[in-house]
Amino acid sequence: MTGSKKNKKKRSLQVFLLVLPLLLFVISLGIGSYAISPRDLVGTLISTISPSSYPDIPPVYRDVLFRIRLPRLLLAMAIGASLSVAGASLQAIFRNPLVNEYILGISSGAAFGAALSLVFLGRAFPPHVSAFLFGILAVLAVIGIAGRGETASLISLLLTGVIVSAFFSALLSVVEFFASPYVLQALFFWLMGSLALAGWRDLAISLPLIIAGLLFLILFRWRLNVLSTGTDEARALGVHVQREKILVIFLATLITASATAVVGIIGWVGLIVPHLVRLMVGTDNRLVIPLSAATGASFLLLADDIIRGISPLEIPIGIFTSILGIPLFLFLLKKAKRVWL
Amino acid sequence: MEVARKFFRFMAVALFMVCGFMKVMATTHLAGEKRTVKDTLGRIIQIPDRVERILSLQPEITRILVALEAGDKLVGLDYFVRRDDHLFKIIFPAQERLPVVSKPDDSVNKEVVVALRPDIIFASPSELLVPDSIQQALGIPVVALSSLGSFRNLLDEIELVGRVTGREARASELISFFNENMNAIRQTVGSLSPERRPRVYLAFWSSLLRTPVDYGPVTAAGGVNVAAGLLPTHPGSPGAVVTLEQIIAWDPDVILVHGNYPPSERRVTVEQVVSDKRLRSLKAVRNGHVFYTFGYWYWWDPAQVLVETLYLVKLFYPEKLRDFELEAAGNTIFEKFYGQAGLFSKLGEALAFHDWIKEK
Repeated sequence: MTGSKKNKKKRSLQVFLLVLPLLLFVISLGIGSYAISPRDLVGTLISTISPSSYPDIPPVYRDVLFRIRLPRLLLAMAIGASLSVAGASLQAIFRNPLVNEYILGISSGAAFGAALSLVFLGRAFPPHVSAFLFGILAVLAVIGIAGRGETASLISLLLTGVIVSAFFSALLSVVEFFASPYVLQALFFWLMGSLALAGWRDLAISLPLIIAGLLFLILFRWRLNVLSTGTDEARALGVHVQREKILVIFLATLITASATAVVGIIGWVGLIVPHLVRLMVGTDNRLVIPLSAATGASFLLLADDIIRGISPLEIPIGIFTSILGIPLFLFLLKKAKRVWL
Repeated sequence: MEVARKFFRFMAVALFMVCGFMKVMATTHLAGEKRTVKDTLGRIIQIPDRVERILSLQPEITRILVALEAGDKLVGLDYFVRRDDHLFKIIFPAQERLPVVSKPDDSVNKEVVVALRPDIIFASPSELLVPDSIQQALGIPVVALSSLGSFRNLLDEIELVGRVTGREARASELISFFNENMNAIRQTVGSLSPERRPRVYLAFWSSLLRTPVDYGPVTAAGGVNVAAGLLPTHPGSPGAVVTLEQIIAWDPDVILVHGNYPPSERRVTVEQVVSDKRLRSLKAVRNGHVFYTFGYWYWWDPAQVLVETLYLVKLFYPEKLRDFELEAAGNTIFEKFYGQAGLFSKLGEALAFHDWIKEK
């Protein structure tokens, strides 16, 4: 195969990955336990702009489409993109393919925050805010303990992440011990990670931060290439390594915590998607970051479509991505022995 | 030669007889002291025919033991009945001296269990790993039992617990009382065509989306559970989690919200369901047919579930129970089971259900 043909094929693949979430989004609008025919689906969409053109559309179609499916699909895309980009960015700066978006303690911090809120603030106060704050706090604790500036080696950050995670898990157990069984039921449901009750309010809470963080990391993508070359090389190229690494960690934390706060813990996305993308387009972060965003959005949409399409039962997406993720990750590991960063 | 042949013949006959005798001994031993039960998880367990020391980690069984006047055989409790069961303290004051062996994370302190020397342990089937983990570690038979929303299962439990505790007479008295009430309910509801029966969705366990896949009180009260027949989330669980769209597709006539929670602990309320714009097209919401019902209380209470069925008859067919006083009936039923007057009213104060049962 000639070089130009290869490039053309590569370019087509990249365009396909970027367009795929939009295609899946349109298809996903037609999937769900409440049956709406394609004609009625189009009619419902048009009738919102021009009510007289489809006067016979039942109001329930609008509720299903605009109050249930649309926010859920948008949230799935935003969360998929966030977790994937966070995973890819952290893998780049830590120069380690096994790093994931929760490695610095976000998940256990957020879980503890959600538990505190559910136990002490009651139902009037959604657990999102507390989950978000404690997710961020966990990562700040990791950075604070591991030390900033030149002293913070990547290994010490990762190890501190493990320790802080364990600490927040222990605190979670303490809260669970004192929680009433009724609160525990709500907490376990949150911990499983689910898009089941996603609404516009969840989007309003999380989307501004997710979009800001994603945009920043996508714009920053070329510097990730420099950071992933190693501290000395990056410094030689004039990059303030430690400051920029902390910035990447902060942005990855921001989008992961925003995602986790509204849907709970959805594992494996930040590990599988960047690996899949690297297998397809190589290790250049200028491509890996935006394509991870698009592929992550597609991955979570697809996973959610399977959940919504196969049965009336709501399988928590966190369980589903783990079941799907582990064999897929093993497969990718075998395929991508040579290409990881 | 002849002597040798005779000797071998004698030995063969003797061996045959010894083997036969041993087989009879084994069977007798099995039939005399042990019986085999199949629990809710499908485990086949050998249990003693009679037991004196019982550890119950299953609130439903603990309540049945007290109702059978066999509470004195309890040697330990699970955390829920000690900490969160408002009624248990009243129906069984002796519980205060019993140790608690479990924690909210389902873990069990095995050392305490060994020290308590129970003959049998009753566990909840929803905690899948606990029964085998204790049984294998300690060699004590652990039976995971639950009614899973079925009256038949509940009555079988009462019968089994009655048998192993030697309270057969009391068990059959309670079973007869239960059946008599059910027959009366059946007569009150009368024969109804399927289209006259309200289609009911139950929002249980602190979530709008969690629903029991079998719920005897709804069926007995003449309703149809829209989620009947769905697969539960796991074996030993009474419920499933469904999608929001599926609830809209079912379009139930009535939505019942789990009400067995103190008001401050309710994660899902009737007000939330009624004001949820995603559900506004549902018949139940449009017609204002969203109510609380009692529901599980860390599994069932045999008395409360009977009261709940009466409550649901009144809810579904108010014309059939026009002058019926639920609170008085509730107190009578609880007294039959637990031997004390006014128990249902006391429970109502703890769980604040007086408001919603009187609204009907």
